[in-house]
Amino acid sequence: MKELRDAFTIASKDVLTEIRTREVLSSVVIFAVLVIIIFNFAFGSSEQAAGLVAPGILWVTFAFTGILSLNRSFILEKEEDCIEGLMVAPLSREAVYLGKFFGNVFFIILIQLIVIPIFSLLFNISFFNLELLLITILATLGFASVGTLFAAMAVNTRARELVLPILFFPVITPVIIAAVNASAQVLDGQSFGAIAQWLGVIGAFDVIFIVASYLIFSFIIEE
Amino acid sequence: MENAGYLLAAFILIWAALLAYTFIIARKQAKMRRDIELLREQLEEASQK
Amino acid sequence: MKRKILFALSSVLILLSFYMVLVFVPTEIDMGIVQRIFYYHVPLAWIAFLAFFVVFTGSIIYLAKRSTKWDNIASASAEIGLVFISLMLITGSIWAKPAWGVWWIWEPRLTTSLVLWFIYVAYFIVRGYVSGEERKARFGAVVGIIGFLNVPLVFLSVTLWRTQHPPLTIFSGGLEPPMLATLLVCLVAFNFLYFYLLSERSMMKNDERMLSQIKETMARRNA
Repeated sequence: MKELRDAFTIASKDVLTEIRTREVLSSVVIFAVLVIIIFNFAFGSSEQAAGLVAPGILWVTFAFTGILSLNRSFILEKEEDCIEGLMVAPLSREAVYLGKFFGNVFFIILIQLIVIPIFSLLFNISFFNLELLLITILATLGFASVGTLFAAMAVNTRARELVLPILFFPVITPVIIAAVNASAQVLDGQSFGAIAQWLGVIGAFDVIFIVASYLIFSFIIEE
Repeated sequence: MENAGYLLAAFILIWAALLAYTFIIARKQAKMRRDIELLREQLEEASQK
Repeated sequence: MKRKILFALSSVLILLSFYMVLVFVPTEIDMGIVQRIFYYHVPLAWIAFLAFFVVFTGSIIYLAKRSTKWDNIASASAEIGLVFISLMLITGSIWAKPAWGVWWIWEPRLTTSLVLWFIYVAYFIVRGYVSGEERKARFGAVVGIIGFLNVPLVFLSVTLWRTQHPPLTIFSGGLEPPMLATLLVCLVAFNFLYFYLLSERSMMKNDERMLSQIKETMARRNA
């Protein structure tokens, strides 16, 4: 219980820092919109093309923006030497992981909530339904689970901006495949049963990697 | 015998690559042996002084 | 001594496999002569997965025990696995061209292997960008564990994704006894080769480490 409380303290600290500095959110949202616009230039925005490529574009955008906000979550700590503070604080390493994980989930979902309406507007597709919300939340949990782990690792390497995507993208392939296909089926107007198998894949990914990352995180920041 | 070229290409590629890999390992090993030799000489020099 | 036996056995069996694959085995009727690639392609895939499983277990034992011996085994196995999986992908591609008319097909096993290839390339990139032997080993172990846990999920998601397409028939009939014998010879040959390379390579890594330690102490004494 104490661990969860500590985790929420860390997560709220990150949220508070973000509210005060507004360093990440604004630039990441701008970046996301830019990605969408560039895809729009590349594929055109006819109704036919939009239906075909929209789910793919949406998830590529989310993966890119996910990388950016994940990277920031530890770079800030490292640059200001706050990570030492976290290490000497009377917290378990697992609480640090959970805190960072919650913070990342919060930020990524927040960014998605801003980006999805803009996306719907530009592609002229309605993205507001319960199924899509469920897919997005489950996939975000998956992104943040390994993402938090890898970001902590990447920040301790010499090429941190490069290392995170190289690690992150191959590992999240199951989530990307499942999320894109499930979103496509939702947009296609298919029933909940059709996307259940994809939700199962993402759910299994979430469970496996939240548990694995939680257990393994302490080995990354031990010095 | 059509497509024999593909088989030949795959066959040669596998064994050439594995040979190259063992060659790289062997070179690393040779370099290590040289280093050991160098260290031994240095040690002998040091002990003679 | 053990290594010499392994080396002798794998050499003899590899020579035997040359004869069996190129001369002895009957040509498959439907696929023609290229089907003979299969006898090497499948063992290559098997060894790659075995090697990555060894990376996974070696990484866990390393994190539990912190003995460099297990990191040597894990990183040596990752290196060998990478060589084998690269060859598996290339031979798969060479086989796909005459069999299906394209160089690449998104077949579940091939696609899973491609994702694995990226993960184990990332394994070495991470090790390369980290300073300090101990940290290299620790970060490598984390990638080795997370990467392998992902295999069933990648395979599952790619299989679900590809079921919309007609399945590929690799064999119209079963494996005839001479074909099975050839496959088995290749399989056993590659297994011996793998264990030979693994013991050779992990011992070398151990020696490299000792050598650099000796160099350091010598340099310190001379200074």
